[in-house]
Amino acid sequence: MATISTQLRNFKEPTKEQLTHVFFSIPEVTPVPVTEKSGSEEDLEKMEINAVLSLGVQGVEDSYAGKLHLIPPYLAFSSLDRKSVRFTLPLSTVRRVERLNARAGVYALSLSTWHSMKIVVQLTSLRPTADLFCGLLREALKYELQRGQMKAVKGFVKSCYSEGLVPTSSTVADNEREDGSLINETKEGSPSPETSYQGGLGLRFKFPGDPKKLREASKIKLWTTYLRTHGRNLTLLRYPQCTRLVQVGLPNRLRGEMWETLSGSIYLRYAHQGIYEQTVAEIQGKTSTSFEDIEKDLHRSLPEYAGYQSDEGISALRRVLQAYSHRNPEVGYCQAMNILAAAILIYMSEEQAFWLLEVLCDRLLPGYYSPTMHGTLLDQRVFESLVARCLPMIHEHFQAVDVQLSVASLPWFLSLYINSMPMVFAFRIVDCFFCMGPKVLFQVGLAILKINGEQLLQIQDDGQFLNLMRDYFASLGQSAHPESSDPRARAISRFQELLLVSFREFAIITDETILSERRKYRNQIVNSIESFSKRSAIRNLKTLARFSKEQAGFIYDALYKAICEVPPPPDVAPAPSLLSTADGQQERPETRIGLATFHVFLSEVLTWARNEKIVINGFQQRIDREVAEHELIDRLFFFWDTSCKGSLSFQDIVFGLDGVMFNDLMDNIEWFFNLHDKNKDGFLTKDEVLTLSESFLFIFRYEIGDAYLGAVSRFMTNAFEYGDTLLPQMTDSETGESGPEPIEPNQPYLNLATFRMVVLADELLESFFEADLSASFRLELVPDLELPPSSSGFLGDLWSNIATVDNKKMFHKFSDELGKTIGKHQVVYRPTIGRYTKLEEPKARESLISPTKATSPSSSVTAISLSSKASSSTLTVDATAAQDAPLSASLSSAVFSPMPHMQAVNAAFMERTPFAIDDAGDDDDSDLESDHDGDDDQVLDEVDAFLEAHDSGLTDADIELAKDLIDAEPVK
Amino acid sequence: MADTASGSVDRSVQVKLVLLGEAAVGKSSVVLRFVSNEFQANKEPTIGAAFLTQKCRLEDRVLRYEIWDTAGQERFHSLAPMYYRNAQAAVVVYDITKASSLEKAKSWVKELQRQANPNIVIALAGNKVDLVKSSSSAGTMSTSESEDEADDATATPGETPSVADGESESLRQVPREEAQAYATEAGLLFFETSAKTGEGVVEIFTEIAKKIPIEHILASTRGGAGRPGVTGGRDGARQDGVNLDENQVKGKDACNC
Ligand SMILES: Nc1nc2c(ncn2[C@@H]2O[C@H](COP(=O)(O)OP(=O)(O)O)[C@@H](O)[C@H]2O)c(=O)[nH]1
Ligand SMILES: [Mg+2]
Repeated sequence: MATISTQLRNFKEPTKEQLTHVFFSIPEVTPVPVTEKSGSEEDLEKMEINAVLSLGVQGVEDSYAGKLHLIPPYLAFSSLDRKSVRFTLPLSTVRRVERLNARAGVYALSLSTWHSMKIVVQLTSLRPTADLFCGLLREALKYELQRGQMKAVKGFVKSCYSEGLVPTSSTVADNEREDGSLINETKEGSPSPETSYQGGLGLRFKFPGDPKKLREASKIKLWTTYLRTHGRNLTLLRYPQCTRLVQVGLPNRLRGEMWETLSGSIYLRYAHQGIYEQTVAEIQGKTSTSFEDIEKDLHRSLPEYAGYQSDEGISALRRVLQAYSHRNPEVGYCQAMNILAAAILIYMSEEQAFWLLEVLCDRLLPGYYSPTMHGTLLDQRVFESLVARCLPMIHEHFQAVDVQLSVASLPWFLSLYINSMPMVFAFRIVDCFFCMGPKVLFQVGLAILKINGEQLLQIQDDGQFLNLMRDYFASLGQSAHPESSDPRARAISRFQELLLVSFREFAIITDETILSERRKYRNQIVNSIESFSKRSAIRNLKTLARFSKEQAGFIYDALYKAICEVPPPPDVAPAPSLLSTADGQQERPETRIGLATFHVFLSEVLTWARNEKIVINGFQQRIDREVAEHELIDRLFFFWDTSCKGSLSFQDIVFGLDGVMFNDLMDNIEWFFNLHDKNKDGFLTKDEVLTLSESFLFIFRYEIGDAYLGAVSRFMTNAFEYGDTLLPQMTDSETGESGPEPIEPNQPYLNLATFRMVVLADELLESFFEADLSASFRLELVPDLELPPSSSGFLGDLWSNIATVDNKKMFHKFSDELGKTIGKHQVVYRPTIGRYTKLEEPKARESLISPTKATSPSSSVTAISLSSKASSSTLTVDATAAQDAPLSASLSSAVFSPMPHMQAVNAAFMERTPFAIDDAGDDDDSDLESDHDGDDDQVLDEVDAFLEAHDSGLTDADIELAKDLIDAEPVK
Repeated sequence: MADTASGSVDRSVQVKLVLLGEAAVGKSSVVLRFVSNEFQANKEPTIGAAFLTQKCRLEDRVLRYEIWDTAGQERFHSLAPMYYRNAQAAVVVYDITKASSLEKAKSWVKELQRQANPNIVIALAGNKVDLVKSSSSAGTMSTSESEDEADDATATPGETPSVADGESESLRQVPREEAQAYATEAGLLFFETSAKTGEGVVEIFTEIAKKIPIEHILASTRGGAGRPGVTGGRDGARQDGVNLDENQVKGKDACNC
């Protein structure tokens, strides 16, 4: 019932490089065929350089200062403000790079892309740096050429709708010969728009919404203009205009392509051509729990859309979700993914949707749909904290009346508002989400609350909150200011108002805000998820046996810790989706641990399952712990695996421990006997008696003195003697001598009663079974590893500065070395039983059978090899805890405080005047039906409403230079 | 605000009820049957929980049920406390044709008994009972509830057209007696229901209504600002965000004795 996930613990903050990749939507791993020759992608170096970007056409766009990144196989640029201008170009779309002939001291390149678009980048770093960059760029381009990617572009772009929008009148790209090897085809005939582009269900079942009302034609016209000059699909350059066009809503036919371009999933599709088909083929005839869950939800995914009332739509949805869950078994399928997939499939092909889903689940909504849904919980927490900061009155009211924000906001985030508001509106939010990133979800959420602020202050419970939100979403199409005398104000719909408030008033919410808030609350969320699963794991135990809840909790903790250290191999704990459910078991498989994890677990709770070295080196005294390995421990594992699954569940372990920890003398003897009676026939074979003796020796391996050695030796002697006397006696017919019947070493030999008698013959063994065995299982924290150095002085000071586990290890090594040189290094193993603290001869009881024969102990003992080997690494207890520690809240505390704008927003909150548009252009009327120029203007007015000042980061002189460069000639 | 509430003629009592159970046992269908007396292939995707309301008359009083129909997928489990906090009633649903769903139901009951409002009224509903009845009796609602029950209890196979009946009876994986015994032991109301035919559905909600300490709720509603436990907020520091902390769900009844 409980699935223990360690994925949360293992979370690492992304590196700067990873963040850069995320920012530019560059796929995490680009699969390079392994068969590649020596010049592999790994050799290609990354580099970033200061640059000024200009579009190669005068007067269309300003120039922007920023950074140019070479991240093979991509070339990416971002303006200094990280939002005005950016691009991510696959290098294979770069068709010509020329050094420009410019003024002395100016180093500029002209790049032509597949879509015959020219951009000029002026490298503003020092000359040697620029030279280096050019060299690396050349290498990277050459590599792309070699691996044939250059040729892949042509076929790929045909799958994009935009190719048909912009007539491909004899582009440079079609004819040019770069390095003499590129294009060999003849010019194609008339540039009739290709019809082979990939599209969604909307092409057949219509797109939601009224195309006239949506002003589709105007939007397409505006986009066509933009795409003609700024590149498209793989080569799209994003200038401020692009974002503004997205904010007024993407035209339906272009929407799917723009989603994949803006989110970067197009790069995944480009880099993994054919994978989707391959995955779909692989899942033929397969089943999994995810598949079953998917099946249940297929008919409740946007059922109001015609496409999903047909088999065609349902099948597409099924394939995409199954393929995703198959490729990402650790996520599998989570309710709400069906809504996303259904939504995007209206606008894009299955293959496009498949890759977009991957970007969504992986990068844009990280951890939202994982089995623990930690990302969802985290972002809900972040949202709540943003509400507390930006809308404190609402937050306080919610607290006062005990309303939970998440009852409403959870589906907003989980389904990108698609499940909450009418589709036409939700898709516009999705447009912005793909263009501007996850912060959009927060901005829109805050705006919803702010706009409804007054009513929200009246609500008294969760139900009223939900009803209010439901009514609001249903009214999004209405005028925001129906009473206004100003027709322009009347024309503003509530949805437009929502976007305006989102992007204007909550522009303060940036990507950095979200990242730092997530950092702040991650630990809290992880802890609550962990304690939640601990409580449910304990609650769902069929029985606690004789343990208290606290003890069960300790067992769980030890188990969890072991799993963190040695995650169960996949075949022991298959990912949920891979588990076949032929037996009708629907639940997530419970976590089961394998032998390796069990070793670690047992070392936490059982003294003789670990080796504890006391190291004394003159400076410090410490205990190094290691996980012990021995046949006996493996034996315990299989002994507790009563259902013979080759793995143990939490319940198995609780039962197993219960079976030994509460035993009295007789129980323990029987337990130990059964542990070694492999076939459970009530007899030990001779071999098993030997094994049992080895077990004794293993358990007693670190005891001080010879007492235990003697006891085990006597045990063996007695066992065999007594065992023999109990065998059927037979008389040799020839010699007339009588003796025990000879038996094979694997025949039943010693029964429990005999074993008991032999054990009780020895005081030491008796005391072992009486108390020591049970007591060697301890449900308490293993004491600290280090005994801090007593002395202050040089090493003491050093010690106080040591924080990390690694450093401690180094320190230990260092002081050990030091100790060795001065002859003070000393290692002692700590006894696991510890009955004797000093050498002391035990009193041996008389042998039961033949007291006189009780001799020669050591000879028989040494015959048995003591095969305890220790796993090599020193076990460090708090490795995981230490990793989590440095996530400090201080990182983000500064983000919000110095924000006069927000304070003003808050102050103005209660007396919000009716919304006024201050930069709307001409008087207009939303009922315009025809598609004349005025309509285009109107769309643009809406665009302008979002206009933000953007800073090119350049001085006037720089701008002049950049303009000159556009017309500069290439260097000969 | 408080004045209008106390002066209101509306004598209705608001009861928060949550539905829990494995995915696809029919939670949403049961609610739909209760709220709009219809059965249709489920159209509403449940993300987190769906929220519906329905009035229910009980003697001279009107109960207003606030129903939270939760998503059934296992990974949404950790979100459930958000929905069952402060609930006065819960319907835990299983599917009588699927044994594992009763196990899940038991685990929900356990969780509710430990973590939810201590006075919560819990009903166990074994849904899809129409699947194990002959098609003739399942199709109509004319047969009275008691007759159906008698059919079921005596289990006379020869009575109805045999083939269909034999087939459908074999679908049953949870014997009524077993579930009843468990419910009695755990102190739950128990019904076998069918969202499809409507059998047993209204009964659950009426029986729950009878067991709810209405006077208690009314008294506190009159006293407070429309809702019990509102004025003081929750005791101590409230933790924000999705509430996984189960020890915070109490408090509703604590303050109005
Ligand atoms: N025969 C029958 N089918 C039912 C009944 N209740 C629900 N179902 C079906 O079971 C499936 C799951 O129902 P749903 O209400 O979505 O379950 P939920 O996931 O628990 O909310 C749907 O296909 C329903 O049509 C019932 O009483 N009888
Ligand atoms: Mg449901």
